[in-house]
Amino acid sequence: MKLVIVGCGRVGSQIAADMDHAGHEVVIVDRDPNAFSRASTRGVLTREFKGDQVVGNGTDVDILRRAGVEHADGFVAVTEGDNRNIMASQIAKNIFKVPHVVARIYDPERAEAYEKIGLHTICPTLEGARHIEKVLLERESR
Amino acid sequence: MYVIVVGGGTVGYYLSRDLVERGHEVTLIERDGKRADWLETQLGSIVMRGDGCEVRFLAQTGIERADAIIAVTADDEDNLIALQMAKKHFKVKKTIARVNNPTNVEIFKMLGVDEAVSATEVLLGALEPPLTT
Repeated sequence: MKLVIVGCGRVGSQIAADMDHAGHEVVIVDRDPNAFSRASTRGVLTREFKGDQVVGNGTDVDILRRAGVEHADGFVAVTEGDNRNIMASQIAKNIFKVPHVVARIYDPERAEAYEKIGLHTICPTLEGARHIEKVLLERESR
Repeated sequence: MYVIVVGGGTVGYYLSRDLVERGHEVTLIERDGKRADWLETQLGSIVMRGDGCEVRFLAQTGIERADAIIAVTADDEDNLIALQMAKKHFKVKKTIARVNNPTNVEIFKMLGVDEAVSATEVLLGALEPPLTT
């Protein structure tokens, strides 16, 4: 698939590397030009990465066009800002009609509110907490 | 009218002040504590400190009886989310945004905001003479 990822932090760069390795066409966007080299220093986006890197604001329609959002099959918004992720993914979903759009939203309330109106949201706060609680309770019951 | 203003920067401050002078009821929401304190010294108890994108906080502002909400922070994404929350959660009739990126005027309307105002567009309009055909 053709995939656009907004946000080249730990999660974004990992998805980019994995999907590229699996043979998908990846474009990763970050407004900080140093984000890409940081990912490569961490050993995530190495020289083997065949995808494209675009420097710019992922909520800017012109930047998203440059990243190929018009022909994308998948879109992932994983910047540090919940609101940026919500805005970028709504642009991808509602304006460019990208079929698979996923937004990371840390704030559980905001995640629930946007999930209700049809945005596919991932809330690491709730999922992380539940996972840790599960591990704790499993230990206790042993 | 009861108007909620999100963002107490320069635009939010003067906007709230003028709305009060015109006899409207106003709540000004500011996220930054220091800035909120300063705004309160100027405008009094109409200032509330909090995040205008949070449903729980918005619920404390009497938003369900607001006639309009105007989001004027410096971040387009924050303005969009505050107004979408106001519209979808609290059914506020009129939502108005300040946008910094002029291409967002159209985008905001497509995403459910009633009015979007771009200072860049206004300035360009002032610079360019009207087209005469």
